[in-house]
Amino acid sequence: MQSSDKESNQGDSRRDFLKKSSLITAIALTPSVAVKAAENQADERFAELFEKIPLNLTVNNKAYKTSVEPRVTLLDYLREELHLTGTKKGCDHGQCGACTVHVDGERVNSCLSLAVMNEGKKITTIEGLANGEELHPMQAAFIKHDGFQCGYCTPGQIMSAVACVNEGHTNSRAEISEYMSGNICRCGAYPNIVDAIVEVSKGGTKA
Amino acid sequence: MINFQYLRTTSAKSALALLVKDKNSKFIAGGTNLIDLMKRGVTAPEKLIDINHVPLKQIELVGDKIIIGALASNTAVAESSLIKEKLPLLAMALNAGASAQLRNVATVGGNMMQRTRCGYFYDTEMPCNKRQPGSGCGAIGGFNRMHAIFGTSDKCIAVHPSDMCIALTAFDASVVLANNKTERKILFKDFHRLAGDTPQLDNNLKTDEMIIRLEIPTNNLGKNSHYLKVRDRASYAFALISVGAALEISNNRITDVRLAMGGVAHKPWRLTASENFLKGKEATVENFEKAAKLAMVDAKGFGENDFKLQMAPNSIIEALTVAKSKA
Amino acid sequence: MEKQLLRDENDRVDGVYKVTGKAKYFAEYELPGLTYGVLVTSTITKGKITSLDTKAAEKAPGVISVVSHLNKPSAPAYEQEGGSPFKIFYTDKIFFNGQPIAIVVANTFERATYAASLIKATYAKEDFNTDFEKAVGDTKAKKLQGQPDYKRGIENAYKTAEVIVEQKYHLPIETHNPMELHGIIADWRPNNQVTVYAKTQGVKATQGTIANVFKIPIENIQVNSEFVGGGFGMALRTWPLEIATVMASKHIGKPVKLVITRMQMFTMVGNRPAAVQTIGLGANRDGKLTGITHRAFGETSVYENFTEGVVNMAKFMYQCDNVNTQYTVVPVDLGVPIWMRGPGEATGAFALESAIDEMAHALNMDPLEFRIKNDPEKDQQRNKPFSDKNIKEAYRIGSQKIGWKERKNKPGSLVDGQWKMGYGVSIGVFNANRGRASVKGILKADGTLVLQSATSDIGPGTGTGMTLIASKLLKIPGDKIKFELGDSSLPPAPSQGGSATLSTVGSAVNDVCVSLKSTIAELAANSNMDATSNFIDVLKKNNLPSIEVTKQSQAGKERDDYSMYSFSIHFVKVKVHSLTGVVKVDKIVSVGDSGTIVSPKTARSQMVGGAVGGVGMALTEESIIDHRYGRYINNNFADYHVPVNADIPEIEVHFINKPDPYINPMGAKGMGEIALIGFSAAVANAVFNATGKRIRTLPITPDKILATA
Repeated sequence: MQSSDKESNQGDSRRDFLKKSSLITAIALTPSVAVKAAENQADERFAELFEKIPLNLTVNNKAYKTSVEPRVTLLDYLREELHLTGTKKGCDHGQCGACTVHVDGERVNSCLSLAVMNEGKKITTIEGLANGEELHPMQAAFIKHDGFQCGYCTPGQIMSAVACVNEGHTNSRAEISEYMSGNICRCGAYPNIVDAIVEVSKGGTKA
Repeated sequence: MINFQYLRTTSAKSALALLVKDKNSKFIAGGTNLIDLMKRGVTAPEKLIDINHVPLKQIELVGDKIIIGALASNTAVAESSLIKEKLPLLAMALNAGASAQLRNVATVGGNMMQRTRCGYFYDTEMPCNKRQPGSGCGAIGGFNRMHAIFGTSDKCIAVHPSDMCIALTAFDASVVLANNKTERKILFKDFHRLAGDTPQLDNNLKTDEMIIRLEIPTNNLGKNSHYLKVRDRASYAFALISVGAALEISNNRITDVRLAMGGVAHKPWRLTASENFLKGKEATVENFEKAAKLAMVDAKGFGENDFKLQMAPNSIIEALTVAKSKA
Repeated sequence: MEKQLLRDENDRVDGVYKVTGKAKYFAEYELPGLTYGVLVTSTITKGKITSLDTKAAEKAPGVISVVSHLNKPSAPAYEQEGGSPFKIFYTDKIFFNGQPIAIVVANTFERATYAASLIKATYAKEDFNTDFEKAVGDTKAKKLQGQPDYKRGIENAYKTAEVIVEQKYHLPIETHNPMELHGIIADWRPNNQVTVYAKTQGVKATQGTIANVFKIPIENIQVNSEFVGGGFGMALRTWPLEIATVMASKHIGKPVKLVITRMQMFTMVGNRPAAVQTIGLGANRDGKLTGITHRAFGETSVYENFTEGVVNMAKFMYQCDNVNTQYTVVPVDLGVPIWMRGPGEATGAFALESAIDEMAHALNMDPLEFRIKNDPEKDQQRNKPFSDKNIKEAYRIGSQKIGWKERKNKPGSLVDGQWKMGYGVSIGVFNANRGRASVKGILKADGTLVLQSATSDIGPGTGTGMTLIASKLLKIPGDKIKFELGDSSLPPAPSQGGSATLSTVGSAVNDVCVSLKSTIAELAANSNMDATSNFIDVLKKNNLPSIEVTKQSQAGKERDDYSMYSFSIHFVKVKVHSLTGVVKVDKIVSVGDSGTIVSPKTARSQMVGGAVGGVGMALTEESIIDHRYGRYINNNFADYHVPVNADIPEIEVHFINKPDPYINPMGAKGMGEIALIGFSAAVANAVFNATGKRIRTLPITPDKILATA
């Protein structure tokens, strides 16, 4: 299958900019320490414009058109840029699951995904799970079965649990446990989490 | 992390063209290992080429071969009905690795390119010949409980961390690689390297190449196959020892057998001598034990990982026994 | 935010916040002009910083400042170098690998992180030792008394007993690893007004520490910590990194947020210290204990001392006339430890409860029967009766639920293919603490009650428990009650630790409610209303929009007359794979004997959580250091194995649920610690019963099973 190349051209712009900015430097008179410092700062402000790249994505059914540095992870983008802090940072290395969100309906660790890799995608976070005031069945089941204590891993657990049901990995407690093992809970609510998932999956609710 | 440049491409051809343009550039697909390594400062590419939109996600049967595109996700492969039917060992191995979240984005190619999880490799303040050639090996004489017992060198005793690759090694898969001029095909077992004097090289992929697809011959080893992963916790942990075992049994005689091990070497470790021994023999525990013993001939411990000298053969026996017992 | 309706009176009062992502943890507050701090840490273990080159970092994009020992802002309490506590940025000395040496502040997290990587430090290195066991064995190494030696009867009486057990038990460093990363937001404003959003188990303690370090009035400091993503002890003190962030905010005049990395969670916010313990037990052939000796070495740091109750349990848990204990701490060049759930008592219980099992085996007795036979009638250490103790009943319930009668006393008797099955039991005990706390209650004519106290909730369900106490006393539905905590401006309460919050703060809630009730009764009488009148009617009749009362509550002298403890019995069934050495916990039954159960749902969860923590302690958790470099080698969640969902079987929890008549008005005792104390021994004992292999070094990983003959 052939498709046309669509390359983001941000790659070369930084270098071009730096060349131009060197030119500005060359024009500047007497390069005293003060001038150098100011120029570094100015460079920085301009550089920011070039080092960010545009990003369009949908989070919880709301479209966002922003620009972002390529190194910003989806997790930090959600928390620090969009202030959607329900998604948690527990390890920042894909080793705990606290940052689990749905990208186009599939659960992923947002800490190991660059925000820019999600161009055009539909993201659902814990904030987008409830239907207004009405809790999602999984959220209600977590409360009923006390599937948490401190609550910090909870958004990730719930996003993962909803995906686990949708994937159909709920045929036994053992299967649920295995497919929920990417979400660490230090308070140790695991059996209660499994209880909540069993209830939702038995309820036949398409999560 | 430096603010690298980010480019997105939709064809293998343009991806390869971009790759050769800049020495310090890397492909990013799932990113589950690469971003982790960048955060730890182990690698610092100046340019990332996002290849997620390159159409290499096929999972299909073509003639007597199963073709898997390099960008098929681990989940897509593990959940594929074709794979579950024809190569259940591969599905089992994939599901034994990482977590559901990681498998959803991790790709087949990325899985092959995974770097070792050796703690010395990850800590930029410690010696590691793989990360920084010539700096020494921290694991030799250090914490080496997770480390290799086969094919080690005095430069590096790290292990390859993948589960998927154990199954692929067992199945005589091939890998198709391409640069911007041509394609080449190599055996999967020749893709990864032993550390030798160049531990910085995990595999034989050239700097101007990308992984295009896997080709796996179909077999009759599906029914009696088992992937055993022994680890420190029940899930979401790297292997102390893993064994991929697949048997074709006819009248209790082994007509075909594949055995490969993980957690023991710098590359997926195929147990050819054990396979040769078992072929034509009865599928008995006694023969499994003999095969396991044969597998250990060149094994060597480094102190903390000496237990693997016992755990490895035990695990071979267990994997074969379970594989055989499957109805 | 409006208080959400309780779905069931026993559900957590903050459940809806937690399941919708609305619960705000410290790092989630938006402050105008917020900046991001990232720490630079030492790469050597001991020595001195000889140079710190921050030029490249300062010039890097977005960087506002780099604060270090070279330019630290004034912190009066730190002017004198040396001594305890460690004074961050007021010394160029390095005491441990990973010690913070600078904080980089930038306008984004990514920029601060990158700039931090540009800082170059050079050091004058000194010899060091991070190997605790080596220091224990080194006669020249410094050792300090951790607790006065204890002796009752004859010292080392076990040595002359008919049956003797003498064994050594080893525990590695464990790391708390709450899911929420540690850190703080500090906002130092003009006129020395400081607001912080903290991850703390004690807002008053954090407030006091900041006041003391910077010598500013305590009223100037506001500490907010409404939701805390777990603590397990690590947030019981204000760590140097928090002071560093406050300094940085003072230095730049802007709010600074610091969230440390998971790697840094191993080095700079405490650990459960490693320990080596020797237990000597003597018994007569009838199975009566005649001597107990418990000697323990615990790890501490060179720059601050740390001790805990490792040898406490041996002094009173079993009927025995001859007991002696000794606790020694040994400094190594690592970050200072801190109490981790169950603290020293959990460390001690692993050794003592393993040894008790070893003795039962030596006597060829059922370990349950042996425990019952040596169950004390009174506390021999304090020579006082127990206020309340129902251990025998707990043994009975637990043994029935686990199926103890299936257990064979001969190890290795239960086999299913390659799996060997075994059962284990152990006991946990922890002082039933009660401190002093104040609570303010505001009863309103709209039918609601607001309760306020500067206590914390790191997860157990503080607000839920308090709401249930008040609801029961005042007959107000739980959804009309709001319990406010995690705010230093509220009436004072101690830090959340030592399983004391429910007992301490709950008593004050009780007293407030009792007082409100009598005020309402008085008002009713004065306005010629029936004594049973609804408080809403009484307030309305008296034209009062609300009444409020603040009460301070603390234990009385009943503590002089009784010995007060919470107890737990843990039963565990394990499967051990004879070829791979894998241990799988198959079933868990924990029985809590901790007085009245005030909040049944959250109490059960706490016991479940303790068991999960106990599985980790027993089977998977160990912080590993390469002593050649003094650096942790598994300081991440992939290599430091906190148990995952698949490690945990169904867990049955039972409670005696009888009020302790003396502890407090509710008759309730804490259970956060007992949920975990002793659990690891139950696992080790079950492994022995399954295999005949006695593992005395935690964690019991597959390699140890295979290595043990």
